[in-house]
Amino acid sequence: MAITHLSFYSAFTLSSLGLAFHRTHLVSALLCLESMMLSMYMALSIWPAENQAASSTLMPILMLTFSACEASTGLATLVASTRTHGSDHLHTLNMLQC
Amino acid sequence: MTYFIIFLTSLFILGGLAVASNPSPYYGVVGLVVASIVGCGWLVSLGLSFLSLVLFMVYLGGMLVVFVYSVSLAADPYPEAWGDWGVVGYGVGFALVLTVGMLVGGVLGDWVWGVVTVDGGGVFSVRLDFSGVAMFYSWGVGMFLVGGWGLLLALFVVLELVRGLSRGAIRAV
Repeated sequence: MAITHLSFYSAFTLSSLGLAFHRTHLVSALLCLESMMLSMYMALSIWPAENQAASSTLMPILMLTFSACEASTGLATLVASTRTHGSDHLHTLNMLQC
Repeated sequence: MTYFIIFLTSLFILGGLAVASNPSPYYGVVGLVVASIVGCGWLVSLGLSFLSLVLFMVYLGGMLVVFVYSVSLAADPYPEAWGDWGVVGYGVGFALVLTVGMLVGGVLGDWVWGVVTVDGGGVFSVRLDFSGVAMFYSWGVGMFLVGGWGLLLALFVVLELVRGLSRGAIRAV
């Protein structure tokens, strides 16, 4: 595998592991999502440079647009849950507990 | 130049590890800022200067600034630090899972150490990324309008999510 491909592949895997094992705060899970978006942006930017395909360079810009929408929605959810529960700790989201 | 890019790629992986094993959201944001700065440097080293500037301004200057002041909303009065044993355990555990996964997947044996820059096909007067993103306004105008409409929609989604006090469904105050 090319060493540059291995880099954003590892960063994506580490961030998804961090998303799966987030511990106390909801905002650390959102930060791991942002890190996944960053590694995907790097992947989508480097691929047209390697294949010399100019028209594919608009794909990372488009991905960044939708990533901004998703980040704003996640932060709005964070603000709503913090105002309801007093903090963004994950043990306060326990309505599905039996 | 190739060794510099490989150094930047290893810093990118370390930034991802820092975000994943963060002791507190403050340090997670630091890891994310380091990863995005290193990513911008990596793109500039390949010659993709426009995409690097877009990442810098939109991602680092727009989205990460919003994340930083949202992290201050989730403040811990006494956060853990990098040296705490729980954090070190998580970091080592994530790195171990990644290494074992790469070993089992067979990608750890054969590494290709080459880097292709934007001048790989020859030097043009209009660079690869400038000419490509400019197609957003000509051939890709449909996706451009969809992206703009999605951003406008996200604005109203955020407005409805943070409504409170009997006018919304999520907030109780």
